[in-house]
Formats: sequence, C-alpha cells, structure tokens
Amino acid sequence: MTQAEIKLCSLLLQEHFGEIVEKIGVRLIRTGSQPLRVIAHDTGTSLDQVKKALCVLAQHNLVSYQVHKRGVVEYEAQCSRVLRMLRYPRYIYTTKTLYSDTGELIVEELLLNGKLTMSAVVKKVADRLTETMEDGKTMDYAEVSNTFVRLADTHFVQRCPSVPTTENSDPGPPPPAPTLVINEKDMYLVPKLSLIGKGKRRRSSDEDAAGEPKAKRPKYTTDNKEPIPDDGIYWQANLDRFHQHFRDQAIVSAVANRMDQTSSEIVRTMLRMSEITTSSSAPFTQPLSSNEIFRSLPVGYNISKQVLDQYLTLLADDPLEFVGKSGDSGGGMYVINLHKALASLATATLESVVQERFGSRCARIFRLVLEKKHIEQKQVEDFAMIPAKEAKDMLYKMLSENFMSLQEIPKTPDHAPSRTFYLYTVNILSAARMLLHRCYKSIANLIERRQFETKENKRLLEKSQRVEAIIASMQATGAEEAQLQEIEEMITAPERQQLETLKRNVNKLDASEIQVDETIFLLESYIECTMKRQ
Amino acid sequence: MAGNKGRGRAAYTFNIEAVGFSKGEKLPDVVLKPPPLFPDTDYKPVPLKTGEGEEYMLALKQELRETMKRMPYFIETPEERQDIERYSKRYMKVYKEEWIPDWRRLPREMMPRNKCKKGPKPKKAKDAGKGTPLTNTEDVLKKMEELEKRGDGEKSDEENEEKEGSKEKSKEGDDDDDDDAAEQEEYDEEEQEEENDYINSYFEDGDDFGADSDDNMDEATY
Repeated sequence: MTQAEIKLCSLLLQEHFGEIVEKIGVRLIRTGSQPLRVIAHDTGTSLDQVKKALCVLAQHNLVSYQVHKRGVVEYEAQCSRVLRMLRYPRYIYTTKTLYSDTGELIVEELLLNGKLTMSAVVKKVADRLTETMEDGKTMDYAEVSNTFVRLADTHFVQRCPSVPTTENSDPGPPPPAPTLVINEKDMYLVPKLSLIGKGKRRRSSDEDAAGEPKAKRPKYTTDNKEPIPDDGIYWQANLDRFHQHFRDQAIVSAVANRMDQTSSEIVRTMLRMSEITTSSSAPFTQPLSSNEIFRSLPVGYNISKQVLDQYLTLLADDPLEFVGKSGDSGGGMYVINLHKALASLATATLESVVQERFGSRCARIFRLVLEKKHIEQKQVEDFAMIPAKEAKDMLYKMLSENFMSLQEIPKTPDHAPSRTFYLYTVNILSAARMLLHRCYKSIANLIERRQFETKENKRLLEKSQRVEAIIASMQATGAEEAQLQEIEEMITAPERQQLETLKRNVNKLDASEIQVDETIFLLESYIECTMKRQ
Repeated sequence: MAGNKGRGRAAYTFNIEAVGFSKGEKLPDVVLKPPPLFPDTDYKPVPLKTGEGEEYMLALKQELRETMKRMPYFIETPEERQDIERYSKRYMKVYKEEWIPDWRRLPREMMPRNKCKKGPKPKKAKDAGKGTPLTNTEDVLKKMEELEKRGDGEKSDEENEEKEGSKEKSKEGDDDDDDDAAEQEEYDEEEQEEENDYINSYFEDGDDFGADSDDNMDEATY
C-alpha cells in the first residue's frame, strides 16, 4: 500500500467512523494481518475500544479475520475496499436511474449499514418512503420486497457468506472464530419470506430536531421479540456488479462520442445481452450473432437488418477495436473486446491529462510516441513537425513527469553512452499507475482542504444552524413576518457573504472528489484487467 | 582508454547530439534549489462537469456524510472531563440507536466481557466518600475531647470551625458520581454540627464561665 493510499484511507475512515476506528484501521492496513492483543498494544488503545472498532469494521466488510494455528485469530484490513467509500454516491445514484427511489434507498441502507437481513432492509426502506409520502399514504412492504428481488436477480445485491450450520455431532469445543462460507448458487437466492406490513410514519412528537432527551427513549428493538424469519441471512451490495455497469456505461458513451447514437445503442444492446453470460473479468464477451442482436434491439429502434450489418462492420473495422468479428455464422458473430476497450479508455485519459497539463503540442508528441512505440529524439522533431528546441523541451518535461520513459539500446556490449540509442517510449501500464497515484494524492488534498475550510468557519456555521433552528421552530408555532425578519438579521451581511463563499467552495471540492473518483475507476479497471492477463 | 581527448578537459562520455544539443551550444542553467511548492501552471484546469446527475450525487454525498456521523457505527473519542460541567452540554447530546453486532459471525474474543465491573466501583467510591468525613468527624470529636480536658473551650471551637470549613471545601471537590454519598456526608456533618454547636466542654464548667471570673478579677485588682 502506498503512502498516498494509506493517507486517503485514514481520511475516509476518520470522516465516516471516527478517530478510534481510523487508528485501528490504518494500523491494520499498514502492518497486514495481526491478532487482537498486538493491535491493542501497538496502538495504545484499550482492548474494549479495539473490539468495538473491529466489530464496526467487520460489519462494513472492511476487515476480515482468519484462524491460524493454536487458535489465534488474525485480522486483516482490505485497503481497496476502504477506498470504495468514495464511490458510494455514484452507486446510489446509478440504482436510482435503474430502479427509482425504492431501489436507491435499498442500496443506500445496505451501504450505510454494511450488511442487513432482507426483512430489516424492507422495514427501514418502507418507513423512509412513508415519511416522504403525503399524509395518510403508506408504503407497502410487498412493493419494496419486489424491488429487492429484482435487485437480487440482476446481481446488484448479494448474500454475505454465512455461518455454516453444523450438526451437534461435533464433539470438540466451538472454534474461536466461525469460518464463513457461501455457495455460488445461493449467492443471489432470495429467501421465501412473506413480509406483510406497511411503512410506519414517525409521529411528529417523536421527532426532535435538537435531540432532546426524553424520559425513556423508545427503543427500536421491540421487534426483536418476534422471531425473524430470515435470521442469519445477510445481504450486501455487490460492488463488482456496479463496476461492471460503470464500465459498460463508459464504453457506450465512448462509442457515442466517436461515432453516433445508433452505434452506441447497438453496443449497449450487445453488452446487455452478455451481462449474465460473461464474467466481469473476461477479456471479451461471448460471441453474439447479428440475428440475435437484431432481435434484441430496443423496441423504439426500427433500423433494418442491412443497416445493422453495416453498422456492425463499421464498428468492427474501427481502429479502436471495441467490437471484433469472430466468425461468419448467423450473419456474422461479433464480440466486444472489453480489455481493449478499457486500454483505449485509459490511454485516452492519459492523453487528455497531457493535453490539459502541457498543451496541445505536447499532446501531439505524446500521441506520436504512442503510435510509433519507440522513437528517437531526432525523429520526433521530424514526424511531429515541431521545431527542435521546443520538441526537446516538451519531451524532457514529459519525461521528468514520468509520462514517458527512455529505452536504451546499446550498440556495443560495454553500453558506452556515445554508442547507445536512446528511444522514447510510453509504457501505458506504468503511466497509468503513476496517474492513479496522483489521483489518490489529489483526493486526499481535496478532503483535507475541505476539512480545513469547514474548521475555519466552524463558529459561523454553528451560528447559522442555530438561527435556522430558531426560525424553523418559530415558523412551526406561527410567528409573524417581522419577528422572522429580526431573527434572520442576527446573521450580518458580511457573515452571509462568508457563508456563501464557504458553501460554494465546499461544493466545488466535493464535486471535484466525485469526478477524480471517476478517473480512478477507469485507471483501476484497466490496471486490474492488464494484471489478470499477465 | 581510447577516446580520452586530453586529460582534465571536460568531455562528454556520450554523443551529445543524441540527446538533442548541438556541439558547442550553451547548455541550460543548473537549478540550485528545490522546485517551488506551488508553481504557476501555464494551463488552467478545465471547469467541472455539471448536470442533473452530478448535482444529485453532490447532494447525496453531503447528506451521507451527515448521516454517517449519526449512525451507531461512528465511535466518538471520549472527551476529557471538563472542570465545570456545562449546563448546555446536557441538552446537546445526540442520542444514537444502539447497535449490537451478530456475535455468531464474529470471533469469540470479540464479545465484551462484563465481569460485574459496575458493582464494586461505585460502592468503593461511596465507601471512600462516606469514610473520610466520618473519620474527619471522629478525629474532630477526639480532638475536642482532648481539648475539653485542657479546658480551652473557645480555642477548640475555632479549631472545630476550621476543620468543618476544610471538610466543606473537600466536599465541593467531590465528583458528581458521589452525589448520594455527598448528600449523606452533608447530612451527617450537619447532624454532627448540630451536636457540636453545643460543645459539652463549653458549658460543662459552667461555674467557671462568665460572671464569676469577672467579679473575681474586679475585686482582685487594686
């Protein structure tokens, strides 16, 4: 784990779970798997706190454990999973576009709580939806269950590995830690539950904006008295499936940008057909015949078979090689080259970064070196048609930033510099890694800056929150316009200005984080698929 | 080796033309300091993407951040005890739902071991609380008895008051956990005080007190 990744994990854990969990989590990421007592001793926290922190991390699938010999249980943190926390808004928004509000809330609850039983999810989501509905209307559990089943069918949610049911014939003492197993077939199997009920609206007397303590706060665990039908069956969001969806989205939009809307629709159809049949790490989809594609096109598109064939031929001949032709049966068998597509997307990202950082001439040189694979200094000037001095300067700038590398080809066995060719080349994998590392650093910087800005204006923020609370309560009790005006004037004009600026800055920083995360996704997918190939 | 064109003369070990400088050309200056921390960029960054999706995700992100802070998974660092407990702090506490993990899925060592820690501790505190003022009053009584024997009534009264004053100060320094104990202390002390107000020694030697001695003194002086 690089320092930049560890720093980013630390910031994310601290923001979402607090400092104690952050300390334990970062310790585990840094030092690999460790037993409980060593963690407590090294971090200087009490055993109690360490246990709590590990429970929270395990609940959110950030830490896993393993039983070693002599019954010692060792805990290991998954750094890459921690980094996924940046992407939660994107997951939730994607579900909203596919399954509307119900699906969105299901995935949101699963992500916020790590893992939940189906009955718990359905109840929570129904309650939340009921709150937003008009008075008198409630959300039925059945509708929420249906959406849940649909999500499970399309593999967006999956079952967590569960404790195996051992028979009592096992004579030995219970193991120090259960080994969780999951059967491939059962991963998306929804238990047969008959969840009957409606969402409950929280009574307005229960809602307290200030969180004032009531004499006896009603605990929400009254339902625990009834036996939960699907006890022990926990569900989690299937992040890999979301990643597959994002990848498909990226490919479709790339095709739309390069060619036109119709060809992107064709590619989208092909990808949809291969969703379940192709595993997410396959280099290309299963071959699809042109007839099948024609039958599966969306209803609105009435292009003729010949036009479809023409489009497919065009796509297959494109130098980017998103689509390839693998045979002639059934009117032509076509595949989508997923790995090649990801490589093209990563390369395009690199090119765009070079262009925005160093200018379009540099980008031209970069594309030239990419095309020619290995090229000498002199040849660069000639091919790119850029004066020698500038070309030299640009090449060195890119070299110093590690976008390019030098390949030495010695003419003599003693590698004498005067008798060696120096060729410029772009190694896409290492350049992508370098850029990914930079992205992690940027997001860490963005988060730190946002926290700094918020801390600077903490007093002002608290004041404005209090004023808002006062105004809200006064409006509820029916105050006059003049009184409200007076309260609003408690915040002076320059303070209002300051608040506006703060809000704008924080929004900008947050939006930047989300967009850098998109780049991270592309680069990580590319690196992952390239490593698998080797 | 062949190729040395003269001792001491600066010569490149490689063909300078390969790197792009022509012979005899002025090389760029050597940089003697680290690059600046925030260098000027020639090209400004492209503006951020905007759209319905991006705005929704932004709002979601900020909302999620707030929600996570209120979840039971957010473990707050225990604050240091403040000298004076602020009244407002009691009403600003955020009440969180309790979360109990599924112990079947976790290693056995994760379960917290509650070994009746709650029992002895407050009892001890109460005992300690009760103990000291009692011993204090006992000490005072003993001292008073001693002083009684010496017959110095007024002085013992003052000492008594001093001792009670110090006890009260120590009372104020007690923690609020010992509220009950403190109340009991106060009550005990008040009782004792009431008893001590009328010190036995003060009025026991009633014959020697007051008028008799004065009369004697007057008559004695000439």
